Amino acid sequence: MKTPNLKNLRTDEIFAWARLIVAALILAAIALCGASPADAQDWFKTGTGLGVAKARVAVPEFGAAAQPAQPLEQTFHTVLWNDLQYSGAIELVSPSFYPTSVPTDPSQIRTTDWSNAPANTYMLAFGSLDAQGSSLAVSGYLDAVNAPAPISALQKIYRGAATDADARKLAHQFADDIIARLSGGVPGIASTKIAFVSNRSGNKEIWEMDYDGGNQHELTTLKSISLTPRWSPDATRIAFTCYAPYNHIVSAQICIYSADSNHLISFPKMRGTNSSPAWSPDGSKLAFMSSSKGDPGIFISNSDGTHIQQISLSRGVSTSPVWNPKTGQQIIFVSDRGGEPVLYQMNSDGSNVERINMPDMGYVVDPAWSPNGQLLAFAWRRPSGNFDIYIMDIVSHQLVELTRDSGRNERPSWAPDGRHIVFESTRTGTRQIWSVLADGSQAKQLTFQGHNESANWSPK
Amino acid sequence: MSSYAPTIPNDSLKGPAILSIIFHAAIFTAVGFATYHSKGDSWGTVGGSMSVGIVGNVPAVPMPAPDVVSENRVVDETKGLYKAEEPPPPIVEKEAVPLPKFDKTKPEPKYKSKPSKLLENPKPPPSNAVPYGRGGAPNVPYSSPSMTMGAGTQGGMSFGSGGGASGDFASRYSWYVQAVQSRVATNWLQSTVDPGIQFAPRAVVTFRILRNGQATNIQVLRSSGNQSVDMSAERAIQEASPLQPLPNDYSGNYVDVEFWFDFKRQ
Repeated sequence: MKTPNLKNLRTDEIFAWARLIVAALILAAIALCGASPADAQDWFKTGTGLGVAKARVAVPEFGAAAQPAQPLEQTFHTVLWNDLQYSGAIELVSPSFYPTSVPTDPSQIRTTDWSNAPANTYMLAFGSLDAQGSSLAVSGYLDAVNAPAPISALQKIYRGAATDADARKLAHQFADDIIARLSGGVPGIASTKIAFVSNRSGNKEIWEMDYDGGNQHELTTLKSISLTPRWSPDATRIAFTCYAPYNHIVSAQICIYSADSNHLISFPKMRGTNSSPAWSPDGSKLAFMSSSKGDPGIFISNSDGTHIQQISLSRGVSTSPVWNPKTGQQIIFVSDRGGEPVLYQMNSDGSNVERINMPDMGYVVDPAWSPNGQLLAFAWRRPSGNFDIYIMDIVSHQLVELTRDSGRNERPSWAPDGRHIVFESTRTGTRQIWSVLADGSQAKQLTFQGHNESANWSPK
Repeated sequence: MSSYAPTIPNDSLKGPAILSIIFHAAIFTAVGFATYHSKGDSWGTVGGSMSVGIVGNVPAVPMPAPDVVSENRVVDETKGLYKAEEPPPPIVEKEAVPLPKFDKTKPEPKYKSKPSKLLENPKPPPSNAVPYGRGGAPNVPYSSPSMTMGAGTQGGMSFGSGGGASGDFASRYSWYVQAVQSRVATNWLQSTVDPGIQFAPRAVVTFRILRNGQATNIQVLRSSGNQSVDMSAERAIQEASPLQPLPNDYSGNYVDVEFWFDFKRQ
């Protein structure tokens, strides 16, 4: 190739070559400058088949040095144990496998004692209680013991008063933190509440209790009939069906109770029967059943009662609306427009009504949409028997029966972790509130006095 | 004689010389710049592997992340608990060799052939042995039995440890790994897979967990061969996001995850 004769090159050709070479040099310089030690890119591999492996957690007794702390430690440990047992996310190691020494500090753990057979523990939850005067401080630790030295996953101090009620509350908080750590961010339900209807004070009023049945107390004292409580998504208000006068006639109306101020918030009263309120997932709208314009249909309004509009137009009764908690774009409700009450689905503006087909006849009522939007719980009375709770996968319409041969089981409500359901059951002879894991195991009776129904689990 | 004489072109070398000097100077400065600027320890003196690719480090040129880590399988999660093993080879006694006497050497011990695993002396497995290759995850602390499912479920984890300073996330934060595995597994629903599919080979999906627990960059690394299974795996990760925030004492800003999914319809 003919070498360029430099003298005969025109100026612009010279510049062209110069640009090319300089560009190449700059590129090389950038490249070499940019070469730093390879970014420390941490990673890990894991995987799964269908089904979930549960972590094995050991919870020994907590340390309680001072005398007044010991009964509190008993309460704390019992409540913590029950919370973890009932969470459905972990497997508790039986106390008979624990070594005899009780660790109260991470330095006191001998990991081989815990990780070897028969204990086979993966995580250890331990700590100590310190009661000074009237205040209580709990140091809680959660360590992984499958390595030679314990790896700390959680360490926190919980403070409260040196009372039994506070010991329970702190135990619930510690249990929630443990569950959140081990289930990858799903919050625990140990501090959630359940609203329900009870007549033990003479009238049907709205009551509230802890998720494990503790601390049951009355919220409303309207001395009439109050039904169907529903928590708002931010857990500050409860919408329910109350009996109040409209045009001097006492009829079913929608009432809203504020948990912050312990008072009722005003909501417009309408003629006819108005019941079964349901909050939209963002808390801005309320869907309910109203017969103010004729046959009972589904209405939607803003949560302060403005802008009421009817979205279901059909003969027959349409009631019990529930919103899709993930999108807020669909509503499932009960309607008997086809003959007997079954479930229908429609968009939240009332369009695209579709019947949800069931493989058998019978009444299908009380729909409850799970927080992850994928499952629907409802009560179904098949021709062969009583009402039972069923869970249906929304996508594939596969059914799972949750209760059988145990009286009437109605009005299911999901817990915010999507793993527990609270419902009412007559299996003991009287109507009481029960809770159960979503696979049907560990059914637990929560109320024992009076006649209790219509439970609703708070979202927080 | 014609007066044509080849005229020596009177070209001075000034122009070309100047250009030449300029280009040489530029090259030397670039080389010198590179030599003095590069950090001395970026050539592999840190233990472990690293990528030394000029092109790979150019910003704005998207290249796949270099695979720098090596596998170190601590737990073999797919094999059964019992494996028929050959009896240990007989210990061959060697006599102590005295200081060499070159006139006399001991003969080598005769080589004893080991019995073949398959043909000679097969030991029948005990009646309660799990057939080789079909056992589930062993019952050791970091891999617990699955909750409800029966035979055929493959649950488990493998702790990868890469070379150098990276990749030991799994051993330092094993509880976080387990939590992520549990969260994604809970969100993987059988119903999101085409009903006609009974079984699918392993699908591997990679994603990145940011500091706040958000899962990004969800990509199928190895397909199961079945689009419905791949999409249900991606969906499981999307549903699980946002995950738990990264541990407080972890210094990095993100962690990469390789998640495998074994589908077998129950």
